[in-house]
Amino acid sequence: MQGAALMGPGVVWYVGIAAFLFGIGALGVLVRRNPLIVLLSLEIMLNGANLALIAFARSAGNGAGQIFALAVMAVAASEVCVGLGLVVALHRRRLAMDVDQLSELRG
Amino acid sequence: MTAGAWLCLCAPLAGALLITLLGTTVSRRTAAWISTTSVFIAFAGAVWSFLGLRSHGSEHGVVSTAWTWLDSGGFKVGLSVLVDPLSTMMMLIVTGVGGLIVLYSIGYMDGDEEERRYFAYMSLFVFSMLMLVQGGNLLLLLVGWGLVGLSSYLLIGFWHEKPSAVAAAKKAFVMNAVGDATMALAFFVLIAHSRSLEFATSFATAGHLSSTTVNLVALGLLGGAAAKSAQIPLHTWLPDAMEGPTPVSALIHAATMVTAGVYLIARMHPLFEQAPTAADVTAIGGGATLLIAATIALVQTDIKRVIAYSTMSQIGYMFLGAGVGAYANSMFHLMTHAFFKALLFMGAGLVIHALAGEQDIRKMGGIGKVMPRTKWMFLIASLALVGIFPFAGFFSKDSIIAATMNVGWYGWVFWVCALLGTFLTGLYTFRLYFIVFPGEPSAFVQEHHHDHHGLEGPWTMLIPVGVLTVLAAIGGWIQFSAYWHPLTSWLEPAARTLGIAEPSTTQEWISSGLALGLGIAGIALAYLLYGARQLAVPRFAAVQRALEHKLYFDEAYDALFYKPATAFASWLGHEVEDQMILPAGPDLATGALDRSRAVRRLQTGILRTYVLFIGMGTAVLAVVFLVVR
Repeated sequence: MQGAALMGPGVVWYVGIAAFLFGIGALGVLVRRNPLIVLLSLEIMLNGANLALIAFARSAGNGAGQIFALAVMAVAASEVCVGLGLVVALHRRRLAMDVDQLSELRG
Repeated sequence: MTAGAWLCLCAPLAGALLITLLGTTVSRRTAAWISTTSVFIAFAGAVWSFLGLRSHGSEHGVVSTAWTWLDSGGFKVGLSVLVDPLSTMMMLIVTGVGGLIVLYSIGYMDGDEEERRYFAYMSLFVFSMLMLVQGGNLLLLLVGWGLVGLSSYLLIGFWHEKPSAVAAAKKAFVMNAVGDATMALAFFVLIAHSRSLEFATSFATAGHLSSTTVNLVALGLLGGAAAKSAQIPLHTWLPDAMEGPTPVSALIHAATMVTAGVYLIARMHPLFEQAPTAADVTAIGGGATLLIAATIALVQTDIKRVIAYSTMSQIGYMFLGAGVGAYANSMFHLMTHAFFKALLFMGAGLVIHALAGEQDIRKMGGIGKVMPRTKWMFLIASLALVGIFPFAGFFSKDSIIAATMNVGWYGWVFWVCALLGTFLTGLYTFRLYFIVFPGEPSAFVQEHHHDHHGLEGPWTMLIPVGVLTVLAAIGGWIQFSAYWHPLTSWLEPAARTLGIAEPSTTQEWISSGLALGLGIAGIALAYLLYGARQLAVPRFAAVQRALEHKLYFDEAYDALFYKPATAFASWLGHEVEDQMILPAGPDLATGALDRSRAVRRLQTGILRTYVLFIGMGTAVLAVVFLVVR
């Protein structure tokens, strides 16, 4: 195992922190109503996932996970662009900064 | 020689397309001449292939393929024309008589609003008919068959502002469609067994098929032939088809299209020889038609309908001949019939033209006084039709009658039928003649007759009439069965007459003598009844009424097919549509609305509930994966 040869904590710790980050993010998405905060929480979730990917990649000694993490970052960047754009647009129109009130699509 | 055949096939099509494309940029008269020229070019092509075939020897039939038209697995059909004795003979008749009739149309249709359309249809018809007779395989024959039906429909309904013409056109199309369907079914059976629609292959396969299959195929073909040739029980459209312009009746419903059935049987004769049942049905149908049509012709009062029933009766003779195996004699009668029947229609056309459209013979008495040449011409055509020596019908009809004598005991039944038919032919033909032509002009004639500067019609009408009069008078001499028979020898390689249908010279003489005698007897009776009026016309009210209603065929079909179909349709309308289908629509809609109202509560529009559901779903899936593993 390549991972064993490196110094530092085992893969379980990384996965634990990744799950923790993901959980914080998910909780943020669920309970916060400000779209800006929701976006931030989403980013935290993505980073949690990225951390898990990289940890597993190191532990397996395989570069594929890292490449995947890079791809996730690219997607995250574009998502932030769109999301922040929406937030700015909401702000400009002086709409309520509350995702529960932005419910035009309800049945 | 094949070049001639292709020229013959393509010229009328080119004519029709040219008239269509030029539209109103050319005068109506130019359109008429384009059509006439195209048909005469086709005639030149037919003569070319005839001469070519003669110099090669008639046994060398040639199939010339332009390209492979359909290619599906092992089944190939080429776009090909067949040049053999049978097809060249038909090409000559179709384009020759057709050209004369199109020329005649120039005078007859002069002044009609839609002359261009008429001449485009005429060219299209000639093309279709040539396709039918020249088609190098059965599929092309079927293509021609269908196209002929189409152009016949278009021409019968040419005067589309007349409801009766439109109804007649529809009737003709539907009756023919029945025949087309049985023919297509026969082709399917043939394809299933021989994997080919080439003539030679299907004839070769016919030998190894079970007799049921061959009979089935032959009966299917016979269905098509009977519909196109107006044989009982598919004949009801022909009298109604007289709603079309008279040259159309002459060309399509006398000279060419209605004889396509006879051509088909002669062409497919190897199949019919393997299927004796179907051949017998052909002969029985022909015999029945010739008698029934002749009796109905006795009471009709429309000049064209009398001739139409006479056409049915004469085609009955041809079917009878083809059914007993005398193919060459049938084809011979087809040829002479094309001459004298086209002539009769043209004569009727001249009369109708001179009387400004009147067709009722009861009003026409004594028109011979003002139209003496038409009278003579009509007399010659009538004599040819009855089969009086030395006119054309004598030679061709009597050879068919004689051919029935050797076929066995039922041959004698046919023989008696055919002889009875000649008597009736004499009677109805000369009933028409004596009512319309001799004597003093009736009041109606005096009032309505208008002549063309001393002539009896425009020259474009008189020239074809003259040519056909000559042909009707002497055209039969080409073959005198007992002495010389160039036509039979010419057709030998394509449609060999069965040995059984070759009568001895004595039988020929007996038949001819009796037929001639009975024909003259018919004429004499007609003279006594209608000419000299020395005898009162016998009245049998019930018979008369039945015949005037054409033996109730239309009423029977109405009761058998039309009434049940409409009753069934209205039952479906009341019981199924009103009760089930119409309420079903609103029910479906309200039902869907109710369900969607219930389901749409799930769409809260609140982002966080969606996320929660996604998270819960993922959690459930994760648990499932972990546990199930």
